[in-house]
Amino acid sequence: MDIIFNRLDENSCRFQIGPVNTAFANSFRRAMIGEVPTLAIEDVRIYDNTSALFDEILAHRIGLIPITTDLSGYVKREECSCNGEGCPACRAMFTMSVEGPGMVYSRDLIPEDPATIPAYDNIPIVKLTKDQKVVVEAHAILSTGKMHAKWQPTTACGYKNYPLITIGEACDGCGQCVEECPRVVLEVHGARVKVVPGRIEECSLCGLCEKACLGSGIGEEPAIKVSFEKKRYIFVVEGDGSLPVKQIIVHGLQFIKDQSEELKERIGEISGGTGDEKQE
Amino acid sequence: MIPVRCFTCGKVISPAYEEFKHRRDAGEDPKKILDDLGMDRYCCRRMLLTHKEIIDDINPYQ
Repeated sequence: MDIIFNRLDENSCRFQIGPVNTAFANSFRRAMIGEVPTLAIEDVRIYDNTSALFDEILAHRIGLIPITTDLSGYVKREECSCNGEGCPACRAMFTMSVEGPGMVYSRDLIPEDPATIPAYDNIPIVKLTKDQKVVVEAHAILSTGKMHAKWQPTTACGYKNYPLITIGEACDGCGQCVEECPRVVLEVHGARVKVVPGRIEECSLCGLCEKACLGSGIGEEPAIKVSFEKKRYIFVVEGDGSLPVKQIIVHGLQFIKDQSEELKERIGEISGGTGDEKQE
Repeated sequence: MIPVRCFTCGKVISPAYEEFKHRRDAGEDPKKILDDLGMDRYCCRRMLLTHKEIIDDINPYQ
């Protein structure tokens, strides 16, 4: 299995992975979305809220703010030695005290741990007029996306098969497929149509080019055929700012590995072997 | 108040709203502003395009 990165930024990336089967590609996607832990604000203690928003709306908005997470510095609340009471190892504290008039931004959340801060400092939380006031204490905890979407480290995270376009001998270079293609994947080159270099990955497998080819009166079979490589996938992963995408990918893969090893161990326990032998 | 995240994909869109509002009120084409702000998907674009700010209408009645 190899991974080729086409683009890798702090908050988004695009890569090819192969050869893998669909089951692995999907479990990889699900692991990145639902199993990589991040910090998000879970408990909000409201001391004063005279703003136009209800307490629960205010708490919900604060909860959705992504928090930069150092995974080595925190443990999950249920796994913590404090038995879920809350201690610096499983909880990041923030305080916010703002008086109007003016907009309350995410930068007004003052962290206890200077490394654990809101990923964006300019998220508007609520607009205050004169004499309005918001005083809250917020506790962020580590959890996963399967508990609530606010703990998902990813926003857009998906995959598609690697497109495969074959242009047969029957192609006369009429260019109707080129006009039809919404992703500008094709071009006319001499008397033949060919794929624009570097744009094959943009193909969405819509098949409009096949229809256009048939429409040009070429006969029963189109000269251009769109299919996909069964064991190759293009992934797009976009982070929300709480974790760098590289870390999301590494932790997603690690989760799959840990689960597979646990499964192997359990099977070994049941069958009385190590799990490595082939079943008769 | 503008929602913190896009309802559909979860991208944090609210920091872009103030600039969007400012430039739209100045008469710029919303398509160009959204492209500049990095709103690629139509789910995120509709969040900004269709938002109606009512906090200023509510605030006098607190």
